[in-house]
Amino acid sequence: MGASLLLSLGARAMNASQSAINTVGHNIANANTPGYSRQTVVLKTATPQFTGGGFQGKGVQVDTINRSYNQFLTREANGSRATAAADQSLLTNLQRLEKVLPPGETGLGQGMSQFLNAMVDVASRPNDPSARQVVLARAKEMSSRFSSAGAQLQDLQQGVVSELKANVVVVNQLAKQIAVLNGDIARLSGSDSSPNDLLDQRDQLVAELSKYVGVTTIPASDGSMGVFIGGGQLLVLGVQAQALAIESDPYDSQRAQVSLLESGGGTRALDSSSLSGGAIAGLVAFQNKDLQDARNYIGQLATAITMRVNEQQGLGLDLGTPPGLGVAMLAVGDPRVLPAATNARDVAGNYLSGVVLTRVDPAFLQASSYVLKADPATVGNYLLVRESDGLVRSVADGDVVDGFRIDFNPAAPGPFDSYRLEPVATAAAAMKRVLDQTQGIAAASPISAITNVANAGTASVDTLYAVDATTFSAANFPADIVFGAANPDGSVNYTLTTQTGIFNSVWRAGQPIGNETGVAQGFALNLIGVPRPGDSLLLNPTAFPAQNNGNVKAFLALQSEAFVGQRDLGAGVIAAGSTLNDAYAAAMGDIGARVQGTQFLARASEQVAADAETARSGESGVNLDEEAARLLQYQQAYQASAKMLQVAQTVFDELLNSVR
Amino acid sequence: MRISTANTYNSTIALLQRRQQDLQQTQIQLTSGKKVANASDDPTGAARIERAMVAIGQVDANQRALEASRNSMNLAESAIGDASEILQQVRETLVASGNASYGDSERRSLAAKIEGLRDQLLGIANRPDGSGGYVFSGQGASQPPFLDEATGVRFNGVPGTVLTGNLDDFALTVDGRLTWEQARSGNGAFVTIPLPNAITGQKATSWIDSGRVTDPQALTGNDYTIQIDGTTGLSQATITNVTTGTVVATVFPFQPGKTINFDGMAVTISGTVTDGDRFEIKASTADLNVFDVLDQIVGELRTPNRSAIEIQQSNVIAIRDLDQSFGNLQEVRSLVGERLNLLDGTETRLSGLKLYNQTERSAAEDLDMTEAISRFQIQQTGYDAALRSYAAVQRLSLFQYLNF
Repeated sequence: MGASLLLSLGARAMNASQSAINTVGHNIANANTPGYSRQTVVLKTATPQFTGGGFQGKGVQVDTINRSYNQFLTREANGSRATAAADQSLLTNLQRLEKVLPPGETGLGQGMSQFLNAMVDVASRPNDPSARQVVLARAKEMSSRFSSAGAQLQDLQQGVVSELKANVVVVNQLAKQIAVLNGDIARLSGSDSSPNDLLDQRDQLVAELSKYVGVTTIPASDGSMGVFIGGGQLLVLGVQAQALAIESDPYDSQRAQVSLLESGGGTRALDSSSLSGGAIAGLVAFQNKDLQDARNYIGQLATAITMRVNEQQGLGLDLGTPPGLGVAMLAVGDPRVLPAATNARDVAGNYLSGVVLTRVDPAFLQASSYVLKADPATVGNYLLVRESDGLVRSVADGDVVDGFRIDFNPAAPGPFDSYRLEPVATAAAAMKRVLDQTQGIAAASPISAITNVANAGTASVDTLYAVDATTFSAANFPADIVFGAANPDGSVNYTLTTQTGIFNSVWRAGQPIGNETGVAQGFALNLIGVPRPGDSLLLNPTAFPAQNNGNVKAFLALQSEAFVGQRDLGAGVIAAGSTLNDAYAAAMGDIGARVQGTQFLARASEQVAADAETARSGESGVNLDEEAARLLQYQQAYQASAKMLQVAQTVFDELLNSVR
Repeated sequence: MRISTANTYNSTIALLQRRQQDLQQTQIQLTSGKKVANASDDPTGAARIERAMVAIGQVDANQRALEASRNSMNLAESAIGDASEILQQVRETLVASGNASYGDSERRSLAAKIEGLRDQLLGIANRPDGSGGYVFSGQGASQPPFLDEATGVRFNGVPGTVLTGNLDDFALTVDGRLTWEQARSGNGAFVTIPLPNAITGQKATSWIDSGRVTDPQALTGNDYTIQIDGTTGLSQATITNVTTGTVVATVFPFQPGKTINFDGMAVTISGTVTDGDRFEIKASTADLNVFDVLDQIVGELRTPNRSAIEIQQSNVIAIRDLDQSFGNLQEVRSLVGERLNLLDGTETRLSGLKLYNQTERSAAEDLDMTEAISRFQIQQTGYDAALRSYAAVQRLSLFQYLNF
């Protein structure tokens, strides 16, 4: 049998080498295929044959073709890829958001300060139409800066929703493909060998899926793979793929939330906090946190300046004939009340309960949205949650909280009703200037002060204007202020005699006279210098409003007044707010710091993902130099096997020749 | 460790791209000269820039207000200067009218001259400020502020000053009432007034000067009368405090031309005294209207057939009042001058404040060119090295060395 054994040995060896060379070829061909795991031929010796002289080897045979695959490294790469994708999508959107709140000349802060600075020229020439025109132009410019910022935020919101929708389409597609591959793999996995290339394809699909949503995978015994998202929600099981959907937020139809389509119809909302990675998680986080904060920030500013300017307009006299109280100069969007879609309705589909929001005090408005719901502990009580810091307060019908009033109309919310309240969030987008007439700017104070010629002290009038429409009345004037003795702490007693009453109070340097507790006449008189006992001031209705600039001073004072976002801490303690420009700088700084932080995070998570991918591909990827060496190795083995055939033939020929 | 060929390509490309991004970032900074384009480049720096810009805007606005005030104050200053010259001319004319050789007709022509000067003065009091208002309009007044009414010229407005400015108070107007209507009457401390003779009811044959303060501590501010009893040589002057009803002093024998001294005041009665001549002394008040003074002067100059004593007495009073008005005008002028001075000082301070804030903004915003250029060089060198090494490494492949 000798020569024929050699022939069969050679043939087997050639086959094995051929197979190895083919596998190397497959590796080289797929060197750049994403997700491809390099394959190796596993060779083993054929079962030996027993002869009288022991076991005779019968050559080589191909056992199987393996792929180099490490489950741990693959999972690691997918997880870090999901985190990197979430950070990246958050970063991209935050960078867009940042452009809405720019520093410097193009910012909202500059718009506000230019508007208020233009008032100085009206103070210098109260009846000059051109100075007034500049104020109106600046007011318009400021309003359009606010409204365009509001519109940009609206665009960002729409962009987030359409991006989410596009991502969900891709996720659903990938899930379906994974399900299909699961079926194929299960069918082909019956034999001992595994369908390597299909497994690679499926792993690659999971890797793709990780970019959009963080997943966990669990292999099944039949070779199929279960895919789960958002803390255990099933996406793919065997050949069944579930689908994701984008739905409206239960409160706000403009906002989106991610839901899972149930197999029996209907949807189940996924908790946004359980989405652990992927671009979708980044988008949802951006929409629910950063975008809302930005809307509230600029809404708060727009509302604060608008309400204060309009209020002061109504306290001054315009240039009309006869001069009248000023009308509103600016307008912003109304507060929004968003009932939950699940709130109780009547048969016609209308909500049974309702909430009406009214802004009352611009100084106390916070840059936040609120959620109002029934107090489960006490029937008829309601809880108001401030979303910016999670503060929970108990409220009732007609209460004023954080500068706005809550009224229940037509009926109080039921025990299962809830509302999202947005006092300022949509204010900026609708901001506009509503005053068109230059005469309409209320530059004049309704009262003016005359110092007595005989005064011995140095006190003179710095500013005098009305501050409170509810207590100020022009009918209380003429009035006079007579100063009395100085107190040891430097304050000076004074007596204010109006047409309707006599008020005794104390003046302190730097404190205005006229609106303090106990006097409350609704005006603010600031003095420079110090009055002596017996000094007096006469407060008269303004006789020549065209030349008076008292009320302009009130507008100018807005610039340095720290009134934005004051907080009533209860028990008469009021936490100071900030000036308009500081509030803007803080908002801008906050968003900027978020971008900066996310930049660092994104860079780090990208590096982690790249490292994980390098580790995974180090295990699974193709190295061409290695393949070249292997090619040479198997080529030589092939050549040697071919030589074996030649030797077998020579041996056979020798045998034939010997018997010829 | 194994290395996947495809992965080396991918990661090298990613690294090259990052280097390129950094290079581009530096390049953009170098081109714009700014290191903070977005808030995220430096959140605290962006807030600093914002605050500095607010301050610069306020300073600029305040500077505009200052210019408006300077304009008004310059106008006021020159108006008061013009007015002073006119009052000077009135005074010269008045002194000339005391010439004993002049008759009623000469005095009438001098009155006409003073009347003309009075009208000029009214024009000055109503001088516009060039931007639709009036220099002396106080806190607001009719347009113009001084109206020539039947009872004389009156300031028809609210006394005080319109102030402008957002960081400081700059005066835009001058108080018209203070300037033209609130000179102190008499000599500034008290007023001497001749009264009709107590016996005859005729005008006094002697005249009283405007008096002097000899002891400011002793001034009471009360009203007094001085009555001369008896004829020349044997007369007695009785000084009565009308307010308290007590006789404070008697002078006997009274000699015309000799000073009478009482309660810190000294007055001189000159001329020929007649039994029953009376004079009154009142506390000075700040209500002397310069136009009333001129009207009074014109009216008296036009009165015919006055005695030398009457002329003397009215000249004493007229010159006294004119000097008071003039003095008051000078006080207002120095007030305006002081304001102008203050404006100059404020301007220096404002430019310092602006410079400070510009520096602050620049420190937060502007690029340190030296640092940026050297950073750019380093990045460029790094990128160059990365490209070179990449090109060198990628040429290496076993396939090139093998002959199959």
